[in-house]
Amino acid sequence: MELVRNVTALLIFPGGLFLLLAGLMYQWADRKLIAQLQNRLGPRWFQPIADAIKLLANEEIVPDGVNRLLFVGLPVAALAGALTAALYVPLFGFQPAFSFTGDLIVTLYLLSLLTLCTGLAGANTRDRFSLIGAVRALTQLFAYEAPFMLALLGPAIVAGSWQISEIITTTHGSWIVLTQPIGFLVALIGLMGKLEMPPFDSPEAETEIVAGALTEYSGRGLALFKLGRAVELVIGLTLITAFYLGGVGQGALEPAFFTLKSILVLGLLALMQSLMTRLRIDQTVGLWWRFGAILVLMQWLVLIVVKMVS
Amino acid sequence: MLKDVLRSFFRKPITEKYPFEKRVTPERTRGMLHWNPEACTGCGLCAKDCPADAIEVITLDRKAKQFVLRYHVDRCTFCSQCVQSCRFNCLQMSNQEWELAATSKEAFTVTYGKDEDVDKFLEKIGRPNAAPAAS
Amino acid sequence: MPTITKAAQAEKFVVPIGPQHPALKEPGHFEFTVDGEVVTAASVRLGYAHRGIEKGAESRNWTQNQYLLERVCGICSHIHATAYCLGVEQLAEVEAPPRAQAIRVLLAELERVHSHLLWLGVAAHEAGFDTLFMYTWRDRETVMDLLEQISGNRVNYSVNTLGGVKFDITDPIAVDILEGLAFLEERTHHYLEVIENDLMFARRTRGIGIMPRAQAERLGVLGPTARASGVARDVRVDAPYAAYPDYPVNIILDNACDLEARFIVRVKELFEAYRISREILATLPEGDLVAKRMPRRIKPAETIMRVEAPRGELLYFIKSNGSESPERLHVRTPTICNMASVLTLTVGHNLADVPMILVGIDPCFSCNDRGVIVRSEQAAGDLWTWERLRQHGIDYYRR
Repeated sequence: MELVRNVTALLIFPGGLFLLLAGLMYQWADRKLIAQLQNRLGPRWFQPIADAIKLLANEEIVPDGVNRLLFVGLPVAALAGALTAALYVPLFGFQPAFSFTGDLIVTLYLLSLLTLCTGLAGANTRDRFSLIGAVRALTQLFAYEAPFMLALLGPAIVAGSWQISEIITTTHGSWIVLTQPIGFLVALIGLMGKLEMPPFDSPEAETEIVAGALTEYSGRGLALFKLGRAVELVIGLTLITAFYLGGVGQGALEPAFFTLKSILVLGLLALMQSLMTRLRIDQTVGLWWRFGAILVLMQWLVLIVVKMVS
Repeated sequence: MLKDVLRSFFRKPITEKYPFEKRVTPERTRGMLHWNPEACTGCGLCAKDCPADAIEVITLDRKAKQFVLRYHVDRCTFCSQCVQSCRFNCLQMSNQEWELAATSKEAFTVTYGKDEDVDKFLEKIGRPNAAPAAS
Repeated sequence: MPTITKAAQAEKFVVPIGPQHPALKEPGHFEFTVDGEVVTAASVRLGYAHRGIEKGAESRNWTQNQYLLERVCGICSHIHATAYCLGVEQLAEVEAPPRAQAIRVLLAELERVHSHLLWLGVAAHEAGFDTLFMYTWRDRETVMDLLEQISGNRVNYSVNTLGGVKFDITDPIAVDILEGLAFLEERTHHYLEVIENDLMFARRTRGIGIMPRAQAERLGVLGPTARASGVARDVRVDAPYAAYPDYPVNIILDNACDLEARFIVRVKELFEAYRISREILATLPEGDLVAKRMPRRIKPAETIMRVEAPRGELLYFIKSNGSESPERLHVRTPTICNMASVLTLTVGHNLADVPMILVGIDPCFSCNDRGVIVRSEQAAGDLWTWERLRQHGIDYYRR
C-alpha cells in the first residue's frame, strides 16, 4: 500500500504528470497576466500544453561536433532534477511526499541542477550564441544563488530546522513576510533570476544571442528543458509561498487556499516582469553582489539579534 | 510606468478579435476595383499607367464602344492610379471588398463589361464557362 | 566539447549577427569579433534586400515609377514618392498648387510620427522592455487609422500624383486628425518621461555609443543620429521644399551625443511634428489639388531633389531623355550613410549594447540596399549570369 501511494505521488499526483501539466498552466497564467498588463489578449489556455506536445513530436536534430551522449542526456538530467526536487516541497498545499533532515539544501541544489545542465548544454556545441549564452547562464547562477539561498534560509532560522516539512508546520499561521519583508523581496527577485525572467533574461536574450544556451536544441531536448523550467516555476512559487506566506496546515481547504496564495505571488512576478528592462550581464552581477547580498545580510543580522534577545 | 501598467490591468485588451469583431472600414479604403462600362472610350490610359499590369482593355468593336476589361486581382497593388487616370470616372475602388483571399487562381481574374460583350469575348477565347461577368 | 585554451584565445571569436537574427527586422550581415563580452572589431555586409529598383525604373513610365519608388521602404514610403514627384515636377517645370504641397507636408509629418513611434517600440524591444514596445505600437495604431482615413491604406499611402495629390482633407477628417494628435501628444509626454526617468532603461542608454560632434561630422551621419550629436543638419531647415517655407521647422538638437540623446531627439521631433500638423490644418490654403498641365513626355534634363525622411536626408537624382521613362534614377537613402558609424561605435562596447547601438541609427535595410560585388580568391571578378548563379547553387548543395 505504501509502495502504491509512493509511486502514485511520484508519477501521477501531485508529482509527475500532474506537476508537468500544472507547471504548463502556471506558465500560461504568467503569460496571460503579462499580456493583460500590456493591454493585449495573450494566449489561450492550452497554448503551452500544445507547444510542449508539438515539440515532443518534432524531429530532434543533433548538430555536428557535439558530444552526442551529453546532448541527449542533459535535458533528461535537468528535468529529472526538477522533478526530484518536487518531492520535498509542499506542492499545491499537500504535505511533502518525502522528507528528511536538511532536505531544504538538497532541494535548492537540485533546482540549480537545471541551470547547470543548461550551461553545460550550451558549452557542448560549437555555436557562438550557445557558448555566450552558457557563459551568461553560469555567471548569473553565481550572482543570484547566494542571496536567494540566504533569503530562503531566513524562515528556516525562525523555525529552527532545515527540514522543509518541519519549517512549514512551525510557521503555519504566521506570515513571515510581515516580519522579514526584505527577505521576501530578495527571494522573489532571486526567483526571477533563477527562472531567467525579465529583467534577468540576459542568458537567453532573444535580440542579442538568439536563444542563448538552447539555440541548437530542437524537438524532444528543447521540450524537456522547457518542461523543466515549468516545474521549476511551480517549485519556486511553492517554496516562497510556503515559507513566507503562512506555512501549510492540515485542513481540507488548505490546497485551494495555498494555490490562491501562489497565484498571488505569480501576479507580483508578472508585475515586476512587465515593469523592467533587461539588464546586461555585468549589470546583473553588480546588482546582486552589491544590493542583493547586502540586503539579505542585513535581514539576517536583524534575525540573529532578535533570536539572541528573545 | 507603474501607473500605466496597473491601469492596463483593469482595462479591456485593445486587441481586435478579428474575425469575430470587425471594425468599420473608412470610406476611402482602397479595396477591389470595379468598372462601369457606360462611359468608357477605350483610351487605355488605365492599363498604360498601371504599375503592376493588372488591367487589360480588350477592344471588341471600337466604333460601337464595345470593350471588355480584364482585371487581375492578384497583380493589383490597390494604388488607385487607374481611378486617377480615367478621365470619365469609369473606375472606382470598393471600400467593403478587401478580404480577397481565395483558394484557386481562377477567382483572381475578373472580367468586367456589359453581359453581351463579356459573353462574346469569352466565346472568342474559347472558355464559355470562365469567370462570371460583373459590373 | 570545444575548450577555450590559451592557444585558442589568440584565435578570433566572431559572432555573426544576421542575415537571419531576432535582432534585425530586415536582413544584413554583421560580424563582431568579441573578446569575452567586449567587441574588438566589426564589419558589415549588405545587399540581401536588393531588388534592382533603380534599373526597374528605367523601363516604366513616369506615372508607374511613383508606385515603384514608394515601395523602396515601407515605413518611409510617402517621402520617397514625394521626393520623386517633386523632382519630376522640377524637370517638367510644373508647379504643384499650394494646397497640394501643404497636404504633402501634412502627410510627411504624420508619416514621421508613425515612423518614430515604430522605432521607439522596436528600440524598447531590443532593450528587453516589451511593455514599452506594446504601448508605443498600440498608440501608433491611432496615426495609422488617421492615415487610412485620409488615403485609404495604412502603408504605401499613394497620396502623391505627378503635379499634386489625389485626396483632399475634408473638415470631418481634419477634426479626427486633431483629436488623434491630442491623444498622441499626451502619450508622447508620458514616453519622454519614461525615457528620461526610468532607471533601468537609462542604464541601457545613457553613456552608450557616444559619438562626439567632430566624429559625427567626419563619419557623415545624417538625420536624428547627427542631431543628437549636436550637428545641426536638417534638410527642412537648410533647403526647405514643398510647403516648408510657409511652415518653418524648429531644429531639435541635443549635445549629449549618446544613445539616450538619440531617443530624446526623436521623441522631441514628434512634438514638432504635432505642432506643424496642427498649423497646416489651421491654415490650409484653398485651391486645386493637381496642376493642370503635366506632360507625359519630359524633355531632357537632370535634377537633384533632397528631402528629410524620418531617418535623415534622402537624395534623388533623376535624368530624363525626352521619352516617357527616365534615363537614370538614383536613390541615396540616409541609412547607408549612418551604417558605417555603427561599425566605429560598437568597438569597445559589450555585445549586449550592439543591438541597441544598431537600433539607435534607426536602420532601414530595405532602403539602403545596393548590388554587392563579392570578390573571392578563387574566381576572377567577373559578372555572373542568372543561369550560372542557379547552377552554382545547385552544385553547392549537391556536395
